[in-house]
Amino acid sequence: MDTKKRKEQFRTMFQRVIDPLGYKFSPDEELVDFLLEQEVMLEKERGSPFCPCQGLTGERKHDMQLVCPCIPFHREHFDAMKRCWCGLYVHKDVDDPDELVQISKKEFEESKSKG
Amino acid sequence: MKKVVMYTLSTCPWCMRAKKFFREKDIPFEYIDYDKADEETRKSILEDCRSHGEEMSFPFVKIGEDVVVGYNPQKYSSLLDL
Amino acid sequence: MVPWFFATNENDLDDGEMKAVSMEGNKILLVRQAGGFYAISNKCPHMDCPLSKGILDEYAIQCPCHDWRFDIRSGEFLDAGEIKVPAYETKVTDGKVYINMER
Ligand code: FES
Repeated sequence: MDTKKRKEQFRTMFQRVIDPLGYKFSPDEELVDFLLEQEVMLEKERGSPFCPCQGLTGERKHDMQLVCPCIPFHREHFDAMKRCWCGLYVHKDVDDPDELVQISKKEFEESKSKG
Repeated sequence: MKKVVMYTLSTCPWCMRAKKFFREKDIPFEYIDYDKADEETRKSILEDCRSHGEEMSFPFVKIGEDVVVGYNPQKYSSLLDL
Repeated sequence: MVPWFFATNENDLDDGEMKAVSMEGNKILLVRQAGGFYAISNKCPHMDCPLSKGILDEYAIQCPCHDWRFDIRSGEFLDAGEIKVPAYETKVTDGKVYINMER
């Protein structure tokens, strides 16, 4: 299947998943297109559309939680950033994704324990 | 000047932006693409990330003794006193 | 129109067994567990993989493709309940299992 077609399929399938979770595709079209393209490539090479910005270990349980959309497995962390790690998805109320910053997992956990 | 070393992925746009940031500021840096590295290097990167209490979320940027996970030009700048 | 459709004979499935059935053009996963019959759509809401090829563990079915797990009673995705596979009512009459295709 060609890349363009697969990218479109990802858009349709993933939209269905992220919508009930309160997310949408980033308004940054260029970023979205780039990330989806990487995912098509990752699916060809590694078998699944993994997150282009998180590292795989080869351990199935770990890696399956990085298949896009990986929001369900990192919900609280991503909700705190109003975006997912790679920025493919943002909260529905976000108009300018460039205003959002990445918060690392450790920073997020520290801020949580501080309350 | 603090040494800048980063772990990156060849597929990650934020890693590219981080590299661009340091290049534009003329700051020398080293990087390793985790997904292109050999088994042993990958293992040591995983251990390094976890030893800092982090998962392998990229870019993982080390500036001197400090670590910044993610693309964060403000933090890079303040750690380098730019 | 009567929304109940014949799916299988009660004796065709043992406890802990499941099978894919085609009902009115829909692919349905029928599971017999702890004496009850449960019917959910066979299409994983992630990327459409057939759940019938997955692994059943009590009331959880794990998709063969990326391991998402769903409750066969409600269709709920165990890691985010907002995501659901359509679930259908079942009934057993005279040794025959029926699925209510109206939701
Ligand atoms: S298609 Fe079912 S988990 Fe991905």
